[in-house]
Amino acid sequence: MFSKGMTRRGFLATGGAAAAAFGAPAVARSQGAAFPSDNIQVLVPTGEGGGVDQAARAFTRVWAKHLGANFEYSYFPGASGQVGYEVFIGKREANAYNLLFGNIGPEMIMYATQNVKYKYPEDIMYFGAIDSDDSVIWVATNSKFKTINDLVEEGKKREITLSTSRLPHPSTIGALALADATGMKVRMIPYGGGGPARAAAITGEVDGCATFLSSSLGLSEQARFLTVFNDKNRAPDLTNNAPPINEALGTKLPTLSGQRAWAIHRSVAEKYPDRLKKLTDTMKTVFDDPEYKTVAEKAGTPWEFIQYADAAACDASAKEFAELAKQYKTLLSAGK
Amino acid sequence: MEPSLGFVAELFAHALSYWWLILIATTIGIIIGAMPGFGSANTIIMLLPFTLAVDVDVAMIFMVSLFCASQSGGGITSILLNIPGNGGSAATCLDGYPMAKKGLGQQALVLSFVASQVGGMVTAGMSIFLLPYMAKLAYYLHSVEMVVIVLFGITLIASIASENMLKGLIAGGLGLLIGAIGADHIYSTPRATFGFLELYDGVPLIPVLIGVFAISEALIMMESRSVLSEEGLQVVRRAGWKETLEGIKWAFQRTWLMIWTAIVGLIIGIVPGAGASIAAFVAYQQARLYSKRPEKFGTGIPEGVIAPESSNNGCASGDLIPLLVIGVPGGTTAAVMMIVMTYHGVQLGPRLFIQTPELGYGVFVTMLVAYGVMLFTTLPLTRYISKLILIPTAVLAPIIIAFTMVGSFAPRGYMFDLWLTLLFGVIGYICRRTGYNVVAILIGVILGPLLEANVMRALRISGNDPLVFFSSPVANILWALLAISLFVPTFVQWRKNRQARSTPSKTAEAI
Repeated sequence: MFSKGMTRRGFLATGGAAAAAFGAPAVARSQGAAFPSDNIQVLVPTGEGGGVDQAARAFTRVWAKHLGANFEYSYFPGASGQVGYEVFIGKREANAYNLLFGNIGPEMIMYATQNVKYKYPEDIMYFGAIDSDDSVIWVATNSKFKTINDLVEEGKKREITLSTSRLPHPSTIGALALADATGMKVRMIPYGGGGPARAAAITGEVDGCATFLSSSLGLSEQARFLTVFNDKNRAPDLTNNAPPINEALGTKLPTLSGQRAWAIHRSVAEKYPDRLKKLTDTMKTVFDDPEYKTVAEKAGTPWEFIQYADAAACDASAKEFAELAKQYKTLLSAGK
Repeated sequence: MEPSLGFVAELFAHALSYWWLILIATTIGIIIGAMPGFGSANTIIMLLPFTLAVDVDVAMIFMVSLFCASQSGGGITSILLNIPGNGGSAATCLDGYPMAKKGLGQQALVLSFVASQVGGMVTAGMSIFLLPYMAKLAYYLHSVEMVVIVLFGITLIASIASENMLKGLIAGGLGLLIGAIGADHIYSTPRATFGFLELYDGVPLIPVLIGVFAISEALIMMESRSVLSEEGLQVVRRAGWKETLEGIKWAFQRTWLMIWTAIVGLIIGIVPGAGASIAAFVAYQQARLYSKRPEKFGTGIPEGVIAPESSNNGCASGDLIPLLVIGVPGGTTAAVMMIVMTYHGVQLGPRLFIQTPELGYGVFVTMLVAYGVMLFTTLPLTRYISKLILIPTAVLAPIIIAFTMVGSFAPRGYMFDLWLTLLFGVIGYICRRTGYNVVAILIGVILGPLLEANVMRALRISGNDPLVFFSSPVANILWALLAISLFVPTFVQWRKNRQARSTPSKTAEAI
């Protein structure tokens, strides 16, 4: 039933190994090694313990091996990610030792709908995405809504409430676009975090939850997935075979997926192209490492969603979301 | 889903076999708990390379023990230095520090530890056997109900302000205004941030806590040679094991208070997003309400230490219930624990108790053992820890300022936070010198954002219908209890005054 148990000696050995792992970059630095000769600092624009944090930690656990450096994390949540991006651009040195790990979809919507002090793509670039996570709508298992059609029909009679972690989110746009296309009424309720948003739907405070799929998989049988905002449900076994939105309703809604990606100061590409190349090259090798499949799945991301995208693809996705956000700006921001 | 006694005994034996790990974790937890700015979440994040490397049950024993101990440790500096180690122990300052100033610091520390550990054990035990029912509470406590629960805590401002109502309300109002700084909860629009990015996520609690308590207290300390009066100095110097035993006796004379305030903490902890700060303030407010001597609260009485400490440790069990039963973390520490559990492939939610019940229930059994271990490790130390207060203020005040400034910088790494701490230090000092209660400010800062978030959310769900606040039976019961808690003390006081007026006249008639 339990592990065989850890002895005091084992505890000291594990602790010692962890300490040695932390000390390794200092040794490298003293030997004047090439980039990276120090730990890489990762800034996460959301809270610790969230989906982004888990995905980043799973990735860097393997990436550290290929890059030859450890990763240290700091968290700057607030104002839907704005705080983290502005701290990164304004207060972190552009030297390739500082990276940001974020989610392109929600954070480009934030960029387009809030009054931010940085410019995309002049100040920051995404140089590689690690996955693609689809927006979904789900309800609690005991909900009366069995299908997305049930929800839409009810939404024509009364306003449906859907929880979301934050208003600037692809799933929010998905729900609003769904309302536009079907004539249903939807009111999005932001909870300031994925956890409280999921709890609100499970405990019946709201009708359902609009979010990314992977963050809700841990709920297992407590959630009934109604639809996926993509042309294909890539994880049917994990989502009670929920239908793609356009297939279920005959609509023509865009795919609303979030890509968790690594970002860096734009100026690094000009000042330190060799460093950026090293980061990109080693990052790609992570996807071929069997250990990554294990740790990614342990972090809650289905392997079907793990998908590398290069800087150009990330840039296209970022611009697409910024454009989409402009269409719904009045509903996503206070400035009506 | 309900475990058998044999199964619990097996889990107990397993946890006990890791007594050495629990000892290490609880020692770390108590130290970081007593240091403002160093919370259990930060520490567990720093130790992730260890917890991810070892087996999941070992990792959970370590994290849970550290988490419990950090809740217990927060009271140490609240009592001895009037500096809460974390938001959950802020309410402990109200009576803990006055006790220390009277020379009863050792007894207050014992009260704090016994209340923490008994409260923690009671709620951990309840969680083991009543888990399915506890989890259901989250289904009844939504934004509307949270509004009323937070209001219970906010009404404490009026109680604290009873000596000077106007100044107390001004201090509370100032706290609420400070709490309103930052991005709004719906559209993330920055308000009153003066263009400072560092304030977008609201005024950070730790710099406020350190500023208004630690810095201002250090400035006050420097005005005299010792924190204690001459009489108090003599009492502390003479203190020995007798005082420890006296503290234990005082605590167990109030066993029922320890139990019910712990349950208050447990219930509040179950609501995702609530936490130890509100639990401690609500428990203090309720203990004062039902006390036979409410007027003594704030002057240094055991009840004022027991209620918040028992409650914030009761909250620790509650914090973990949504994580384990629903799969949604109730607080930051629980969120970090979730990283470790999911990394080890643990399925959270109802399936946890079917697939790996030893882990689900093991968390609460570990809590029981950790609190038990702490009872034996902390109580003998109170005799020595309490001597901290004997250090001359010329040495103590600079140490406090230096250490707490590090604590204020540590959580976010902003230089801005150091300036903010100093600013709040000056505000705190002026408030203390002019009779404005700094605890009332802190209540506003902590509970204001919680109140606003829940009010805004409830209104948005209802389509801006104010009647939503009276739309659920649970909320209506809570409103009725709130009304009772506001009007009963006033009525009782009115009756007392009336009796007092009539008694002299009767005496006069008799004469």
